[in-house]
Amino acid sequence: MSRNLVTAGVAAALFAGCSFEPEQPVLEHEPNAKAIAENVDLANSPTAQDQLAGALEMLFGTPEHPGYMRLESWIEEEYDPNQGSWNLSDEEFDALKASNRAAFAKQIAAIEAGDLDAVARPRYAPDLWRRYEALVAEAPDDLNATYADTEGTWRDELVYLFEGYYPSLTATAEFYRQQCNHCHGPSGGGDGSTAPYLNPRPRDYRPGIFKFTALANKARPRHGDLMRILEEGIYMTAMPSFRRFSDAQLHGLADYVELLAKRGETEILLALDYAADEGFGGLEKVQETYEFVLDRWEKAADNVIVYDGEVPAATPERLAAGQRLFLGAEGEGANCVSCHGPTGIGDGPSAREVDPETGLERYVKDEWGNEIRPRNLARGIYRFGRRPIDLYRRIYAGINGTPMPEHFGMQIIEADGSKRALDEDDIWNLVHYVRSLGERPLEVARHDTSGNEEHAEGH
Amino acid sequence: MSTLKTFLLRVAASLLFLAVPVLGVWTFVTAEANGWWFPLNVSSYGGEIDYLFDLILWMVAITFVLTEGALVWLVWRFSRPDSSRAVFSHGSHKLEMIWTAVPALLLVFIAFSQMEAWSKVKIAMPDGTRPDEPYTVEKPLAEVYASQFDWRFRYPDAEGNFEGADVVESAYDFYVPVNTKVLVRLRSRDVLHSFFIPQFRLKQDAVPGMEIPVWFKAEETGSYELICAELCGWGHYKMAGKIHVLPEDEYEAWLANARTALYSNGSED
Repeated sequence: MSRNLVTAGVAAALFAGCSFEPEQPVLEHEPNAKAIAENVDLANSPTAQDQLAGALEMLFGTPEHPGYMRLESWIEEEYDPNQGSWNLSDEEFDALKASNRAAFAKQIAAIEAGDLDAVARPRYAPDLWRRYEALVAEAPDDLNATYADTEGTWRDELVYLFEGYYPSLTATAEFYRQQCNHCHGPSGGGDGSTAPYLNPRPRDYRPGIFKFTALANKARPRHGDLMRILEEGIYMTAMPSFRRFSDAQLHGLADYVELLAKRGETEILLALDYAADEGFGGLEKVQETYEFVLDRWEKAADNVIVYDGEVPAATPERLAAGQRLFLGAEGEGANCVSCHGPTGIGDGPSAREVDPETGLERYVKDEWGNEIRPRNLARGIYRFGRRPIDLYRRIYAGINGTPMPEHFGMQIIEADGSKRALDEDDIWNLVHYVRSLGERPLEVARHDTSGNEEHAEGH
Repeated sequence: MSTLKTFLLRVAASLLFLAVPVLGVWTFVTAEANGWWFPLNVSSYGGEIDYLFDLILWMVAITFVLTEGALVWLVWRFSRPDSSRAVFSHGSHKLEMIWTAVPALLLVFIAFSQMEAWSKVKIAMPDGTRPDEPYTVEKPLAEVYASQFDWRFRYPDAEGNFEGADVVESAYDFYVPVNTKVLVRLRSRDVLHSFFIPQFRLKQDAVPGMEIPVWFKAEETGSYELICAELCGWGHYKMAGKIHVLPEDEYEAWLANARTALYSNGSED
């Protein structure tokens, strides 16, 4: 009999353990160890580190309840960075509505049919469901009655709730935990649990540097730049396309990544400013840093690189001019050869350096301290877009955080010996030449050994 | 033990074993109404795959019901208090012949019935890989590139060249024309993946280093799920795509638009 009891007990325990929604540990922001270690005063003071964490929590919230602190002047101006939907253009909002219509098709159909009992709870968007339930609690029996705040009916208002859904930062933080956290980490440090197994490593958002944007002057990315990364993924890396989610979810993610990046930047700047005798300089200084960081992101849109005119065709003259620039050394040409090598396969001498610690040669490191290989242009595979304009932007402005520099305006020497600045036309020549390397790698290699003898002798 | 208690135990045991075939059959009978059955078939050869599935399902179902029925009967019959003791017996050539020959014949029957479908889906590529099929498609419509953890679709340039600058690339979304035999070249850049479109009844592994031809003809417009059906790493669950079957003219318009977009000057970004 006692044996039967034990069996029953084990079975009950097994059933009890089978929860469909296991409890998740609460995420917490992790301090930026590298930034703290760089300031000796801060590294030696656990109290100051706690203060820093407290200041960041005040400004940006926690992973569970993220949100920007609103300054008094913002409240007066009715400015609120927590309302991501306010920044959408009309076209973006129309696209968002269409996407929500598809995502919530069943719910919207039920509301339009007047059958509120059939409106099922969506699988995501808990914030939307809370608002919906609150609104339904007040709804009259006749959905055609006029809704007080708008001209429309209650039915329209309920439909609009689904159609115009834009996730809150809190809802997105949960979504981030499910989809992004395992690579990018709770604070966006690129240090999630799968990160050590990836090459290239996931982006560390905290320095606020993003490699792939459409912008010049090392500007912070725009919302649209982050959206494009989420939609297209980054080719040949572990960052996939996230198009299977709705527009609203992706907009939310872009907003949340932006918050993590701004938080990380603020953290780095505050850590840098800390001094043992002055502390962080008081609340005012902290607010100043906060505003400085946010302001830098606001200005991003002024730096979009757009070519004024049509993409020129790849003529033999352009390819020849592009090759001259590609192979030309610093001060003479665009100096691509120094890293990408004469055939573009990424074997140039400047791509590698001697590690001061080990004394061994290795690839140079990027902003995040990871070894980075110059792109093998002969494969014709580009991380972020293969349109000519994408390559144009890479060459024009360089790639943030990597040794790939800005090329627009650098000094070159013409065939007749005159000096001038590298202009937009030169960049197109380079774009076409680089694309020709990827299209017909063998031909170019042959072509290159003949055209490169002079260059090889020069060394 | 009292007679009543023994009787009740026998009833309970028999009913327990009877529940298995009853519930099993019930699951299948109500599956379609409950939405547990296959998704809609929209491909030209999907019907043959479904026919084979149904054929095997019926064979299995009949065997299953008969076996379970026999089991229930044996439980009921030989749990009687007055039933004789079990007898040990060894070897029966007759029985062994039957239970070897019947399944073998069934397997041979299945093997022959599926040959036509297999040849149609996996061997007779529309580019004339099998000579007795008319050449209906000259070149692949696109290259499907699987990688950890997404799908990329590369459409050749106007000359059918997959290496050129005018190759159109699309992540996640795969656009194909309706009512057209579509040949795709399946590739993987890292590990094994599997190209699986349930609505087309199509599944094919992507093997690194191989270019595997795959064909289908979608007969209804719409958007269908594309998923990876081979465990390919930690992100396998998120490796999804969408296949959009468009009317011929809309497909052509999409491709032309994508080609033009390649030469954008960046003003729309």
